[in-house]
Amino acid sequence: MQKHERTSAAMANTSSLVIEQLTLKRQQQVLLSLNETIAGGDILTVMGPSGSGKSTLLNWLTGMLPKGFSASGDIYLNEKKITDIASHQRQIGLLYQDPLLFPHLTVAGNISFAMPAEAKAQRKATISQALSQVGLAGLEQRCPQSLSGGQQARVALLRVLLSQPKAILLDEPFSKLDSQLRQETRQLVFEQIRQHKLPAIMVTHDQSDADAAQGKIISLFSVD
Amino acid sequence: MITAKSGFNTLVRSSPYLMMALLVLPVMGGLIAVVLPALGWFPVLGYTQFNLNGFVDLWQTPGIGDMALLSVSTSFISTILAFVITMLILGSYFTSPWLAYIQRLLGPILVIPHAAAAIAIGFLITPSGMFSRLMSPWFSGWDSPPDWLFPHDAMGLSIILGLTLKELPFLLLMALGVLAQPELGHTLRAQHRVALSLGYCPMTAFFKVVLPSLYPFLRLPILAVLAYASASVEIPLILGPNSPPTLAVAIMQWFHDVDLNLRIKASAGAIVQITLTLLLLLGWWLTEKLINTLSQSMLVNGKREYAGAIMQNMTHVITLVMLTVIGLALLGMVLWSFAGFWAYPDVLPHTFVTQHWQSALQQMRTPLLDTVLIGVSATGLAIVLTLLTLESEQHTSKAISRLTSVIIYLPLLIPSIAFLFGLVWLLEQMNSHHTFINVVLAHLLFVLPYVFLSLASSYRRLDPRFSYVAASLGASQAKIFWQIKLPMLLVPIFIAVALGLAISFSQYLPTLLAGGGRINTITTEAVTLANGASRRTSAVYALVQMLLPALVFLLAWALPKMLLTHRE
Repeated sequence: MQKHERTSAAMANTSSLVIEQLTLKRQQQVLLSLNETIAGGDILTVMGPSGSGKSTLLNWLTGMLPKGFSASGDIYLNEKKITDIASHQRQIGLLYQDPLLFPHLTVAGNISFAMPAEAKAQRKATISQALSQVGLAGLEQRCPQSLSGGQQARVALLRVLLSQPKAILLDEPFSKLDSQLRQETRQLVFEQIRQHKLPAIMVTHDQSDADAAQGKIISLFSVD
Repeated sequence: MITAKSGFNTLVRSSPYLMMALLVLPVMGGLIAVVLPALGWFPVLGYTQFNLNGFVDLWQTPGIGDMALLSVSTSFISTILAFVITMLILGSYFTSPWLAYIQRLLGPILVIPHAAAAIAIGFLITPSGMFSRLMSPWFSGWDSPPDWLFPHDAMGLSIILGLTLKELPFLLLMALGVLAQPELGHTLRAQHRVALSLGYCPMTAFFKVVLPSLYPFLRLPILAVLAYASASVEIPLILGPNSPPTLAVAIMQWFHDVDLNLRIKASAGAIVQITLTLLLLLGWWLTEKLINTLSQSMLVNGKREYAGAIMQNMTHVITLVMLTVIGLALLGMVLWSFAGFWAYPDVLPHTFVTQHWQSALQQMRTPLLDTVLIGVSATGLAIVLTLLTLESEQHTSKAISRLTSVIIYLPLLIPSIAFLFGLVWLLEQMNSHHTFINVVLAHLLFVLPYVFLSLASSYRRLDPRFSYVAASLGASQAKIFWQIKLPMLLVPIFIAVALGLAISFSQYLPTLLAGGGRINTITTEAVTLANGASRRTSAVYALVQMLLPALVFLLAWALPKMLLTHRE
C-alpha cells in the first residue's frame, strides 16, 4: 500500500467520501466488506476478477443496486449521509469504459447538458475553454460519433467535471483505449481529479491503472 | 453462398417473387379497381365516360365534412394519447420492476381483436354498463340508466377511448422491444444512469436522453397505428356515432348499398380516405419536426427537474385507471355472458346461467369451423412463403431490397377500406364461386406482413456457422433447411403461427367483403351481434373471439416446451 504526501495535503480540506461498515451481499452470500475514507484528490483502486463485486460496489454507491443484491452500511459525502438519497441527488459523477455521449446532442450540447442550469450566461465560454484545455478546441458543434475514441473519452471527462460532482467513480474507464492513448487519458483524468480535489474510486483489472493512481489498492477475490 | 442446382433451391429462389406478386397484385389491382369507378368508369352499370361525378356526389352528401373531421380527430387524438401515455409509463418506470409487470398485464391486450375490445368497452360505458352501475345510486342517484349517448357519442370520445386502449399496448411493447435489443438497450440504460449521476431526475433523464434515441425506432409503428386508426372500421362501427359515422364506416355502407350507383360515390370516398390518411401521416411528421426544433434548446439548458414528482404521480393514476378500465370491461363481459336477470343498478346479476353459452356455442359451430379453417390456410401459406423468402436471402447472401421490405408492409399502410372493394370486384370477375379461396387470399394480405415481421429477426440472427458446418459435412441446402434451421427456429415459428392465426381470426372487413356475406367467422358474427338485441349473446361471441387467440398463444408457448423436453 502506497501512501504519499498528497494525502495529508488533501485531508486539510473537508472534501471526503466515507464508506462505513459496508457489507454487500448477493442473496445470502457476502460479496465484500469495506470500511474506507477517501480524501479529496485521492483515488481508491478496487481490483478483482469479474463476479467479485466491484461493479456492485459502484452500483451501491450510486444508489442503483440491482435486484438480488442487498447492502448494509452507510455512505458519507463531505460528512453528509447520503445512503438513502435518490441516485440523481447524490452528486456523484460516473465515468464508464464507454464514453456514453448522447448521440442526439453535439459535443457542446453534451457538456451543456451536464452543467448546472443556473450558469447560463458564461456557459458557452466555459465549454470552449474546457475543450481547449484538453486539446479539443473548436469541436463544439461536432456530433460525438464523429470523434475518435480518445476524443470521446475526454468529452465524457469534461461532462462529468463540469457537472460539479462532489466525488467521482471510475468504472474501468480506460479499458477500451489502446496503450498510448490509455496512458495519456489516464494522466489527464487523474490530474483533473487531483486539481478538483475530488475523492475518487476506480474499479479496474489493470495493474498499470492501479499503479498510476498512486493510492490505496484493495483486491477482491472471486466468491464462487 | 454458392448453391447447387436442385428443385429446392429453385423453389427458394423464386419464392420472394411469388410473395411479392401475392401482395402487390391484389393491393394494386384493388386500388385500380377503385380509382376507375371513382373517375366515373364503371362499365357494369354502363358508365364508360371519365368524369368527376362521384366526387361531386360525395361533396354534396350531408355531413361529409363531419365524417372526415371525425375520422381525422379520433385517429390523431387517440394516437397522441397512446404515444404520450406510453412515454409517461416508460419515463416513470424506466428503472423500476413495475415496467415488466405492466408489460405482462398489457401484453395480452395486443391479441384481443379490435371488434372484441370495442364490444367490451361499449359494455363498460353504455348507460346500463358497469361504469354507471358502479356509480349508482350511492354517488349519482340514478335508479334507472342515465340518458347519455355513450358509446355512440357524436364527438367520438368512445372511439378515442377504444383506439387509445388498443394502440397503447402496441406502442409500449414496440418500445420495450427496442429496449430489449442487447446493444442498444444496454447503451440507452447506461446513458440514463449517466444522466442520473449528473443530477437529472429519472423522468427528465428519460425525456432528454432516452427518448431522442428511442423515437426513430418508434416512428414507423406510430405511423402504422395512425394510418390504421384513421381508416379502421370495427371500432367506429361499434363505438361510434351513426349519423354521421366516420368516413370509413360511411364508405363501407355505400359499397354495401343495394343501389349499385352508390359504388361510384363509395369509390370516390375511398380516394378521399387515402388522401386523408396521407395528410394525417404528413401532419404527424410535421408536428414531430416542429417539436424537435422547439425542444433543441431545452435539451441542453441544464434544467434537471420539471415537476417530475407530479408527473410521476399522474402516471401512477393514469396507469391504474387504464388497467381498471380494461379489467372492468373484461369482467363486465364475463358477467353478461353468464347473467340471468340483472336489474339496474345492481353491480352483480341476480342469477348466473350457462344457457347463453350453450345456445351460442351451438349457433357458432359453422362460423367457428370456418374461422379456424381460414386461419390455418392463410397462416400456413404465410409461414411457407416467409420461410422460403428468408431462406432465399441466405442463399443470395443479401437482405431483400428496401423496396421489397416496404412492399411487405403495403397492406398495413394503405387503408384496407380503399383497396379491398376493388380487390373483391376483381376476384369476382375471375372466380366468383370460390368464396373460401377469396377469403383466404384476402386474409393472407394481412397475415403475411405480421408473420414476416415476427420471423425475420430470428431467422436472420441464426448463426450462419451452423449452416457452414453442416454444408462442410456434405449436407445439401434442403437438408440444412429442414434438419438444422427449422428445428432451431421451432419456438419463433410457433410464435409466428400463433400471431398469424390471431391476425386472421380478428379480420372483419376482408372476411365480410371477400366472403360476400356467404362466409361468416366469429368476428363478423360478433360485429353483427354487437349492435343487435342480445347483450348476453354478444358477450359470449366477444369472449370466444378473445379466447381463440389466447388459446393459440398458449399452445405456441406450451408445444415447443413439450416437444423439446421429449427430445431430452
